[in-house]
Amino acid sequence: MKIKKIIIGILVFAIIGAFVAYKMYNKPHVNVAAASADISLTADEILNDFSSDENSANSKYLEKIIEVKGVVSEINIEKEKGIITLKTNDDFGSVLCHLSDEATKKLNLLKEGQAIIVKGICTGFLMDVILVKCEFVNQ
Amino acid sequence: MKILITIFCCFLFITVCNSQERYLTKNGSITFYSKMPLEDIKADNNQVLSIIDASSGKMAISILMKSFMFKKALMQEHFNENYVESDKFPKATFKGSILNYDAIKQAATKAKVKGILTIHGISKEITIDANFTKTKETVEVNGSFFIEMDDFDIEIPAVVAKKIATKIKVSFNFNHKPYKK
Repeated sequence: MKIKKIIIGILVFAIIGAFVAYKMYNKPHVNVAAASADISLTADEILNDFSSDENSANSKYLEKIIEVKGVVSEINIEKEKGIITLKTNDDFGSVLCHLSDEATKKLNLLKEGQAIIVKGICTGFLMDVILVKCEFVNQ
Repeated sequence: MKILITIFCCFLFITVCNSQERYLTKNGSITFYSKMPLEDIKADNNQVLSIIDASSGKMAISILMKSFMFKKALMQEHFNENYVESDKFPKATFKGSILNYDAIKQAATKAKVKGILTIHGISKEITIDANFTKTKETVEVNGSFFIEMDDFDIEIPAVVAKKIATKIKVSFNFNHKPYKK
């Protein structure tokens, strides 16, 4: 009787363990559309931060959900995904927003010169600050 | 005065020439792939910066490690935290030159690219084959090669060491456009 109880106990434990492991393995990606932004600022501010001190900007912004306000200077579609360039005061740098699939569908409503707010995950700075998985905010 | 203007024009002409000889892409793509028994590991990065200087045939590439997107969030986390340590080494770079750049014509041409690849803070000289297609407006480069994880000091935890191939296939595709500013 006692042995049976122990076996059942172990079994239950193993099933829960396997379930948790499976859940962890299939952990979903961050849902940018549903999550609220960690930091919100303008395109100029974020580019300034990166070009003045990239290391501290990296630790401040990387992998965070950033809401950026800016003016569209370029709209591109590459491999069926929309890419928006936000204008800044800097001559060379800008903020590049790579859109999610859903946001790409709304791209035809957008015009160059329009002021928008986008929300995305910051992955770093090359010539431009790069945001991925971007969504439009309140459009 | 005339001479001054002539000189000025010459300079202007030279700068215009120079700026036209640079080709660049801000959304080049790099994919890596490794076969695993349970599930294949695959990640895409579509935010690669690549510049070709047409006058010298030099090429420079910058890659953000955090821009690699995996199907599984957990894999992406492990890749960034345990393997390439992207907080410490946020970028991978390649600096090199295209051998025989002048031989590249409009049709697809094979050419070797030789240079220094830096991943995970470790630099290594590599030579790879790439396909080039040059038109008036674009320079397209694509190809693939293998990298050894050991070469870049990427440690694999013992638990999964048997499951992960140490050789990883890296494919790239850059569509450069003339750089205008």
